[in-house]
Amino acid sequence: MSAFRRPWANPLVQFVLAALILFGLTWWATGLLSERAGKTEAVADARVTTELLGRGVAQPAIPRGMVKGDVGAIDRFARRVGFQLKHIDGDVRRIKIWRADGTILYSDKNRLINRQFDLDAEQRAVLESGATEGTLSDLRRAENKFETEEGGLLEVYTQIRSPEGEPLLFEAYYKVETVQERSRQVLSPFRRITAGALGAVLLIGLPLIGILTLRLTRAARARERLMARAIDASEAERRRIARDLHDGVVQELAGTAFALTGAAREPSVTPAVREDLLASSSALRRSLRQLRSLLVEIHPPGLNAAGLPAALEDLTAQASTTGMETEVSVSGIEGAPDHVVTLVWRVAQEAIRNAVRHAHATHLEVEVEGDERQVRLRVCDNGVGFDPDASSSNGSYGLRGLQSLVHDGGGRVQVESAPGAGTTVRMAVERG
Amino acid sequence: MKSRTALAALTLSALALPLATVAPATASGGGGGGHRTSGACSQSSHWRLKAKNDSGRIEVEAEVHGVRVGQGWRWSISHNGSPSASGRATTRGPSRSFSVNRLMINLAGTDHFTLRAVRSATGEVCRGKVSL
Repeated sequence: MSAFRRPWANPLVQFVLAALILFGLTWWATGLLSERAGKTEAVADARVTTELLGRGVAQPAIPRGMVKGDVGAIDRFARRVGFQLKHIDGDVRRIKIWRADGTILYSDKNRLINRQFDLDAEQRAVLESGATEGTLSDLRRAENKFETEEGGLLEVYTQIRSPEGEPLLFEAYYKVETVQERSRQVLSPFRRITAGALGAVLLIGLPLIGILTLRLTRAARARERLMARAIDASEAERRRIARDLHDGVVQELAGTAFALTGAAREPSVTPAVREDLLASSSALRRSLRQLRSLLVEIHPPGLNAAGLPAALEDLTAQASTTGMETEVSVSGIEGAPDHVVTLVWRVAQEAIRNAVRHAHATHLEVEVEGDERQVRLRVCDNGVGFDPDASSSNGSYGLRGLQSLVHDGGGRVQVESAPGAGTTVRMAVERG
Repeated sequence: MKSRTALAALTLSALALPLATVAPATASGGGGGGHRTSGACSQSSHWRLKAKNDSGRIEVEAEVHGVRVGQGWRWSISHNGSPSASGRATTRGPSRSFSVNRLMINLAGTDHFTLRAVRSATGEVCRGKVSL
């Protein structure tokens, strides 16, 4: 697992984190949903209870005359059912029977009897429609001034009728805490099921993810080894080609150029032939210079931390010949591994080459700085720039190659550019 | 003329006597909470009324003591002038009485309760009031 430098890059850690987040979200969502369901069910229960109390118990016991506020009739109603109404269902906290004009004809709170209050729109609607409605009590209303229940009350209304046929409003109050308790009763088993299912998934998934992670780690290590070998092989091949060219073709071309120059100086050579020999010798020398430049590009001699400033100077020399002002600064890379130095050089090479070919810049700056953790490269020109998002396939090929090169070398590269604003290539690679 | 006047006065006195006995004879704050009143009925019986608070309600207890066991009575109790409870009862036991208890609602302010009992056989009337 050490292949993952940051703990959260480990798939196992990611899986556990994702599972925990999912668990939390599910816990919260199921809580929300089941609380709603519980409340709905509790309110539905309260409605049923209210209808049962109102229409099944209170309405048949209402004597004639009660609707007119007759005290004796209210007494009779109270003795028949009223005194017991609140206790039929243990959750009921208050009972009120309203006349349409807002007069409370009966309540288990005697002081409310025969007092008149304003009916709200919902109460009037229930009186007219005969439906049953429930809502949280507004304890600031005058009719509720005796309610001191902590946690609030749920009031449910339903329509009943007096023996004279007049519609009355039967109202029952329930503790909100009772409703919430009902929600919890619904919620608890649902949450246990949810938690159990998620826990089971976690238990089953953890070993599987663990095995997959192990395989992934091994594959990543193998890939890294292969990559390192490929890079080493490529370097070795470059070295071999450079050495062979230098020791073979370059030496022979140099000798041939000398020989041609020497032959041209022979007195027996005619002026026309001498001129041809000197021209050939000159052409050979040009080819020789190009070949040596190519050799430097393929494998610069002495490419290590100490030689990087000179190698970068060699790279920018090409830009200087086009009239571009160049600036190179290197600091803090002492002791950096050769493969890191090579990567820095190759990225700088590609960036400088792009600047020379496409930027039409007058100034090019190459800066390398390092610390104990990483080495950073910045190649900046003041050229025409480009739109990185809309670059052509040919242009973006170089960038893609650069990104691929850096990625393979374990670094990160960033290209910042805009039309008319120059281009800056930044690269950072871990020192280790 | 004098004798007629004396007869009329005697008649009025005779009529006034039972009427006067209908009025409560005594009233007290009562021990143990509540109010009690008692008095004589129009003939030889007596009544007692008691009203006391009972868990936010009012319990009204009415008693009529007759002279014999087995006397039939019709009774009613009004609450603030409105008929609240009524029934029939018969005197019984060594006290030769009957009693009724009824729970009433406790309205805001003072509640007034009135007992009216009529002996079916003789028309004797008991009237009593108690307030709480």
